[in-house]
Amino acid sequence: MHLIRDVLDKQLVDRQDCNMGRASGLIVHLGESTQPRLTHVVIGGPALWMRIHPSLGKLSTKLARLWGPKRKEPVKIPWSRVKTVGKDLKLDVDAKESGALDWELWIARHIIERIPGGGSEEEE
Amino acid sequence: MKKILQLTLGIVTSVGGFLEIGSVTTAAQAGARFGYQLLWVILLGTVCLIFLIEMAGRLAAVSKHTIVDAMRERFGFPFFFFVLIGMVIVAFLVLVAELGGIAFALQILTGIRFPWWALPVSLLVWLLMWKGTFSLIENGASLLGLVTISFVVAAFKLGPDWSSVGASLVPTLPDSDKANYGFIAVSILGASISPYLMYFYSSGAIEDKWDRSYIPMNRIIAGSGMTFGGFLSMAVLVAAALALRPKGLQVDTFPQAALLMTTALPRWGFYLFALSMLFACFGAALEISLAIAYFFAQGFGWNWSEDLQPSQDARFAFVYTIIILLAAVPLMLRVDPIKVTMVSMALTSATLPLAIVPFLFLMNDPLYLGKHRNGWISNTVVAIVILLSFVLAVISIPLQIIGG
Repeated sequence: MHLIRDVLDKQLVDRQDCNMGRASGLIVHLGESTQPRLTHVVIGGPALWMRIHPSLGKLSTKLARLWGPKRKEPVKIPWSRVKTVGKDLKLDVDAKESGALDWELWIARHIIERIPGGGSEEEE
Repeated sequence: MKKILQLTLGIVTSVGGFLEIGSVTTAAQAGARFGYQLLWVILLGTVCLIFLIEMAGRLAAVSKHTIVDAMRERFGFPFFFFVLIGMVIVAFLVLVAELGGIAFALQILTGIRFPWWALPVSLLVWLLMWKGTFSLIENGASLLGLVTISFVVAAFKLGPDWSSVGASLVPTLPDSDKANYGFIAVSILGASISPYLMYFYSSGAIEDKWDRSYIPMNRIIAGSGMTFGGFLSMAVLVAAALALRPKGLQVDTFPQAALLMTTALPRWGFYLFALSMLFACFGAALEISLAIAYFFAQGFGWNWSEDLQPSQDARFAFVYTIIILLAAVPLMLRVDPIKVTMVSMALTSATLPLAIVPFLFLMNDPLYLGKHRNGWISNTVVAIVILLSFVLAVISIPLQIIGG
């Protein structure tokens, strides 16, 4: 497996095949005497914008404090939860519980559901 | 049977996407100013678009990726974001032009000035996306867009000299006003080769759950749909050459453009022109708004489908809601839709390499397409047309600005 080609920027889907963003960053543990080990996949947030420029990463953190869902930590999915690596990365998680859909739910509840005909995100 | 029905996907993208305010305005200006002489540019743009649309459908059918999915994966976020900014700015300007086309059509039908129509029109486009499904948009727009066949009737009724029409399919340069000729040629290419059409088409193929068995059907759809669109565009140019050029008219306003239809069809021409613009621009406005929302949603990995309730793909619905409402603002401030059209078409041409070059890399990547990747013919045709359109844009846009 080639981490940049096969994992980074791949579509992430949960147990129910719900889209939960793309792999914005990877966390690798570098031990002194062990081989580097991939530990987490990071979704969205500063990790994504820092790939363009570090200042954009800082700006996104500041903006997120002013507006939107309040979340202190970036969304990190342990690598052990990755079921398959193919067209998508299939994860053994629930998208809503993981925090990856915080923005989706926030926009649904604060904006979309208030417009007639918007429906409710809790309906399946 | 289902596959035959999906021919409508090709027809809607050609009617709603090919014949819209951009192609009508640029073809009408070309005919009014240079007669048949720029017909070859429409032919070139159409051939290039046939190849590009076929590629977009093949990528989706084989790899199950839309163009945007594959672009983000293959080239990474920083490059994707750069393309996103460029494409969204250009597509937004084209959306303003299309909404302007609908508003102008309503102005000539009702007498009420176009800025008053901007907000109601954008709300109507939004409402269709909010409540409608993908197949409603696809089939509804294609059926209504069939009224644009009246341009072909007008062109035939004006009795063109077919040998001159045929001779104009070979490129020639005018004796004077070369900068204007180049600028109109660039704008025609921009109006024909619209990247948003590719994004819309590949997303549509995923919405319709295409697989490899659709590859032959995709070829027919791309070939027939885009040929139909190109044929309509040529009819506009021919009608303008016969109706407007002898009177020395330029297409600076919509009522002037309507003359290309009223000369041939005095009784119904005015209404047919207005309805053609109304429906073609309406189809295009829906496609562009969807294409922009698809671009964001697929690039960032959000939920997206025109068939889901808005709350089920809230970020996707939020993007098209904001984009459509923002696009009404310049029109309410009385920005001239014909000027926006010409600028946006030339800008589309200038930014084509940004959209097409990475796409060509994807279409040659065995990881995505395996044995179905591009052959040398499609690569060469598309590369030459894109290079030509870019070079023409770089030369003629500054000349046009200097010359006013």
